[in-house]
Amino acid sequence: MSSKTTIYGFLFVGLAVTLALIVAPAVYAVSLSFYQMDSFVGAPKWVGFANYVAVLQAPEFWHALLNGAIYALGSIVFQVALGIGFALVLNEAFPGRNLVRGLSILPYLLPTVVVILTFKWMVDGGIGIVTKAVEAMGLPPINWFESPGAAMASTILVSVWMWTPFVTTCFLAALQTVPQSLYEAARVDGTTAVQRFFHITLPMLKPILTVVVLLRAIWMFNKFDVIWLLTRGGPVGATENLAILSYRHAFNLFDIGGGAAIATISFALLSVAVLIYFWVFPLEDD
Amino acid sequence: MAEIRLEQVRKAYGGVVAVHGVDLTIRDGEFVVFLGPSGCGKSTTLRMIAGLEEVTSGTIRIGARDVTELEPKDRNIAMVFQNYALYPHKTIYDNLAFGLRMRKMDPAEIDVRVQKAARMLGLEDYLARKPKQLSGGQMQRVALGRALVREPDVFLLDEPLSNLDAKLRVRMREEIARLHQDVGTSMVYVTHDQVEAMTLANRIVIMRDGHVQQIGAPLEVYDRPANLFVAGFIGSPEMNLIEGRVENGLFVAGSLRVALPAGTQASGDVALGIRPEHLALTSEADGVAFTVRVIEQLGAQTLCVGEAGGERLRILVDRVDSWSPGQSIGVRFPAAKLHLFAKSSGQRIETAKP
Repeated sequence: MSSKTTIYGFLFVGLAVTLALIVAPAVYAVSLSFYQMDSFVGAPKWVGFANYVAVLQAPEFWHALLNGAIYALGSIVFQVALGIGFALVLNEAFPGRNLVRGLSILPYLLPTVVVILTFKWMVDGGIGIVTKAVEAMGLPPINWFESPGAAMASTILVSVWMWTPFVTTCFLAALQTVPQSLYEAARVDGTTAVQRFFHITLPMLKPILTVVVLLRAIWMFNKFDVIWLLTRGGPVGATENLAILSYRHAFNLFDIGGGAAIATISFALLSVAVLIYFWVFPLEDD
Repeated sequence: MAEIRLEQVRKAYGGVVAVHGVDLTIRDGEFVVFLGPSGCGKSTTLRMIAGLEEVTSGTIRIGARDVTELEPKDRNIAMVFQNYALYPHKTIYDNLAFGLRMRKMDPAEIDVRVQKAARMLGLEDYLARKPKQLSGGQMQRVALGRALVREPDVFLLDEPLSNLDAKLRVRMREEIARLHQDVGTSMVYVTHDQVEAMTLANRIVIMRDGHVQQIGAPLEVYDRPANLFVAGFIGSPEMNLIEGRVENGLFVAGSLRVALPAGTQASGDVALGIRPEHLALTSEADGVAFTVRVIEQLGAQTLCVGEAGGERLRILVDRVDSWSPGQSIGVRFPAAKLHLFAKSSGQRIETAKP
C-alpha cells in the first residue's frame, strides 16, 4: 500500500466516524429546532424560526442563561484559585507527598452520581455529618437546597469539590516545568515569595491557565448531570441553566423543537464566547 | 567591593558530606575559580556563598559582615547561572532592571545602569526582545548584564559557559576576563574545564569529593601540583604518571631508569610525573629508547603516544612530519621538570627546591 493510500485510508475512517457521530447528530438537532414536534414518532411540522422566537421571548430562557453564567463563573473562579493553591502546596517537598498527590485526584475519579449521593448524605437533615457538626457548634441549620441562593451555592460547591483536582493536576504538571534556577535568580534579585509568585510562577502558568479556564468554562456552561442530580434545576428554576432548560422542553414539556432551539442557541453563544476568548487571550508561545 | 572569608564551611545532606570544611579567603577584586570534576562540591560551595544552600556548619563573611544566616538578597551578591535563568516572559531590558526594581531604585538610575551594562556587553539593539529571540551567547551576556547592573560586592558564576559551543566559549571567556578587569569586583567562578580555570583565575581552588586539594595561582598549580589528583587534572594533554620505586637516586619502573635531581629525599614506592610537553627529544644513545605507536598531528605541535622501557608515555613536541608508527626515537627526562609523588598518600615529594 503506497503512503498516499494509507493517508487517505486513515483520513476516510476519521472523517466517516466524525460525520456519523458528531456532524450528523448536530445537523439533525439543529434541523429539529425548525420543526414543531411533540414526540420523536409523530410527524414534524415545519415552523421556521417560530421556536426561536418563542424561546427568546420567554423569561425563563434569560433566567437560565444568567444562572448558567453565574454557575460557570463561580465554579471556575474557585476551581482555578484553589487549584493553583493546592498545586503550589503539592509542588513543595514534604513527607508523604506522593501519597497526598495521589489522594488529591480521587474526587475527580469518582462518578458524578457517587459524589452527589455522598454530598446529599453528608448534608442530610436527619443524619448528615455536616448537619450534626453545624448543630454541635450551636449554629442554625443550613438549608442547602431550599433557598435559591443556597441551592446555587451548593451546586457550585459540589462542582468545585469534583473538578478542582483536575485543575490542580494541570497546574502541578506546569509547575514542574518551571526551572528551579529562575526562582534562585529571583531570590538573588531580592524578591519575596509573593513577588516570585507574581513575577515567575503566574507568568509561567499562563499558557496552561488559558487552556484550563477555557475547558472548564465550556464544561461548566454545558453542565447537566451535577445540577440535575442535586436540584433538578430548582427550587423554582433557581439553578436551571440552558442545558437543563433544553432537556425540560424536549422531554418534560414535549416541545422537542423548542429544546433543540435552546441547545442551538447555547452552542452558538459558546462558539462566539470561545472565539472572543482566543482573541483576548491568544495562545502565543512566548 | 569586599573580601570573602570561608571558615570551616561544611555541607552535609543527611549522612552524605558534600563539602568538608573549606577554609578560604578571597581577596577584594580577586578572580577565584573552583575547579574539579562533577560532584566535587564546587557548585555547592558557590551556592553556599550565594545563600541558595544552607551551611551545615562554619561561617561565611563578606567584608566585615557575617552573612552565614542571611538570605541571598541580603548578601549583596550577584549570580550567573549555567542555564542563564533569564525570566522568559520579560524583555531583556526588564530582565536587566528587575533586580534593581525589586530594590526600589530610582527609575532614572535604573535606566542609566541598564543602558551602561547594555553598552558594555553589546546588547543595546536587543533590549526590547524576549530571551527566546536571542542566541546562547547573547543570553549569556544578558545574564552577565543582570549581575553587572547590581554593582554587587561579588560576582558568583556557576559554570556560565558550559551551555555554549566551543568557539563561543573562548570568546565569552575573553569577555569575562575583560569584564573583570573593567569592573574590578571579586569573582568566584565554578567550572570543570581546566582551560577556563587556567586562563581566567588569579587563583584556582581544586576540589575533589568535597575536599580542597590545592589552592594556588594557575602556574603554581601547573608547576607544582600538590598531589597525584591535581597532577592528572591540570594540564592538557594529561601529565605522564608512572608508578615505580626510588633506588639509589634513580627512579626505576620495569626496565626504565630515570635520574632524579641530586639531593632528592625519597625512597620506596613512588609515582613519577612528567608533562608530555617537558619530555625532550634527543639521540637514542643519549636518552631512553621510545617506540612510536600513535601520532596525532595538532598543527603546530605533534602529540605522540608510545612506549619507553615498557611504560606508556605521551610526548608533545614542535611539529614533526617524519615519524611513523613502530619507529624508535630517543627521549630525555629533564631533571628539573620531574614531579615525584608518594604512592601511598599521593602527596607531592619535593625533588629540588626552586
